[in-house]
Amino acid sequence: MLEDSGFGPVEIGPAVDTFGGAKGEDKARAFDVYGYAFLARKPS
Amino acid sequence: MAEDLLVDPATLREQVRDKYRDVAVAPHAEHHFHTGRPLAARLDYDQTVVDAFPDRAVESFAGVGNPFSLRRLAPGERVVDVGSGAGFDSFIAAGHVGVTGEVVGIDMTPEMLTKSRQTAEALGFAQVSFREGLAEAIPVEDGWADAVISNGVINLCADKQAVFAEIRRVLRPGGVLQFADIANGRPVPPEALSDIDLWTG
Repeated sequence: MLEDSGFGPVEIGPAVDTFGGAKGEDKARAFDVYGYAFLARKPS
Repeated sequence: MAEDLLVDPATLREQVRDKYRDVAVAPHAEHHFHTGRPLAARLDYDQTVVDAFPDRAVESFAGVGNPFSLRRLAPGERVVDVGSGAGFDSFIAAGHVGVTGEVVGIDMTPEMLTKSRQTAEALGFAQVSFREGLAEAIPVEDGWADAVISNGVINLCADKQAVFAEIRRVLRPGGVLQFADIANGRPVPPEALSDIDLWTG
């Protein structure tokens, strides 16, 4: 979606267990949800 | 509602605003996500920097990742924080860009804006300001920003294409979008995709 929006190649960081131990953990586990960092540039 | 959107943007926005109002005024209540200093530690923020912040700068932090983990902002950069909440990431950014840089936080929740503005003043961060606005209509001029940051916000927007187009508009050519957000590794059933309660937890 980022590249479709006119950004360059996307760098993605490792998965982070954002919801582990929180009330929303069960729902996150059901869909394998994790947090990620993303980095992309607007072309010059 | 646009035909290709899964939920009504205005309805979703209102539910998100309600949820984050609670995080602003009752940060220590039980939410479906972690908040505050424990969350910052979990997401590997610089502990020394976080420890130096007063509680009010950290307690309502509700991000899902670390937008600074792939790139540290440079001194002097102009930064937009989309969905700045109570300001935690904006304050981290202020430390990176220094007094020659500028950070503009954008948020739609009045209670978050009040809190972030008061904290910026208490911290003496003259290079940080907060504006009321939406991710789909960022109140910043074209090409102003060297970098856009965001944390756990874009997944809560119904029209992500519109959000990315708006971020692209406010970035200068060559500018950087560095953000954190959630992604699912297993497909979500069609009926769940349109369940607004799932979007807001």
